[in-house]
Amino acid sequence: MNEFQFGDKIRHILNQGLSLDSRKAARLQAARELALARKRPEPVGVLASAGVWAGNMVGDFGGWTGLSLRLLVPIAMLLIGFGAIYTWQQNQRAAEVEEIDAQLLTGDLPIDAYLDRGFQNYLKTRAAEE
Amino acid sequence: MASRSELSAFLESVERRAFKQAVFAVRDEEAALDIVQDAMLRLAEKYGHRPAEELPLLFHRIVQNAIRDWFRRQKVRSLWTTLLSSLSPSRGEDDEQDPLETLQAADGSNTQEAPAEQLERAQVLEIIEQELARLPARQREAFVMRYWEELDVAETARVMGCSEGSVKTHCSRAAHALAAALRARGITL
Repeated sequence: MNEFQFGDKIRHILNQGLSLDSRKAARLQAARELALARKRPEPVGVLASAGVWAGNMVGDFGGWTGLSLRLLVPIAMLLIGFGAIYTWQQNQRAAEVEEIDAQLLTGDLPIDAYLDRGFQNYLKTRAAEE
Repeated sequence: MASRSELSAFLESVERRAFKQAVFAVRDEEAALDIVQDAMLRLAEKYGHRPAEELPLLFHRIVQNAIRDWFRRQKVRSLWTTLLSSLSPSRGEDDEQDPLETLQAADGSNTQEAPAEQLERAQVLEIIEQELARLPARQREAFVMRYWEELDVAETARVMGCSEGSVKTHCSRAAHALAAALRARGITL
C-alpha cells in the first residue's frame, strides 16, 4: 500500500464531508468573529514614538526661549525615556509570564522547570491570584 | 504579525476540519464546538501577534491540548455522570446522525449526481469517519495532521510534541489499520 496515495484519497473523501447544518455553521462563524474581536494587537514601540515626538519638539528656537527649551526638552525626553523603560520592563515581565503559560499550555516547558523551587512558588502564587 | 484578514481567512479555512477532528476524538458534537471555539479564542488572544505562517501549527497544537484537557475534565465528571445518567435522558439519541441527513449538498457539488451514487459516497464517508474515530488517539492525530491538514513530518512532530520518527510510525500504523478496517467493511480505495 502506498501510504501517501491512501492518505490523499482519504483527504479527498473527508473534505467532502465538511458540510454542516446551519446551527453548527453559525456557531463556528460566531466563534470566529469573537476570536477576531479579541485578536491580540501588535505591541506599540513606545521608545520610537517618544523619540519622534522629542525630535519634532526641538525646532529652530533661539535666544532664552530656545535655551530653556534646550534644557527642558532633553529633561522631558529623559523622563519619558525612564517611563518607557519602566513600561517596557513591565511588558517584558508580562510577556515572560504569558510565554510560560503558553509553554505550559503547549507542553513546551522544559522538564527542568518543574524541578525549580522558584517556579513551583510562581505556580502557587498564580493559582492564589486566580 | 498576522493581519486581521489573514487570521480570519485561516480560521475560516480550518474551522470545519477542526470541528470534525474534535468530533473524532471526543465523540460529542457540542463538546467539539466548544473545543474549536476555545481554540480560536486562545489563538487570537495569545498568538494573534505572531506571523501568519505560524498560525496553523499553533492552532492545531491548541486544539490537541484542548482535547486532552476535555478528557481530563471528563474523568472528574464521569462519577457524577454515572450517578445522574439514570435520571437524565440519553444525549446520544438526539445527536445520532441519520446517514440520509449527510446528503446535504455542499457548495459547488454536482447536484446532477445520481441519488444512488450520492448515498454510496455518503456511506463511504461515514464509514471512514467511524474508523478514523476508532484509531488510537496518537495514530489518528498523526494521520490527520499529515494527510488531512497536509503538514510535513517536522511540523506534525511540533504539533504533537514528539519526534519525527514517532510521527512516521504513528502515520504508518494508522494508515495500515485504517486500510484494514475499511477492507473489512468492503471498502477498497
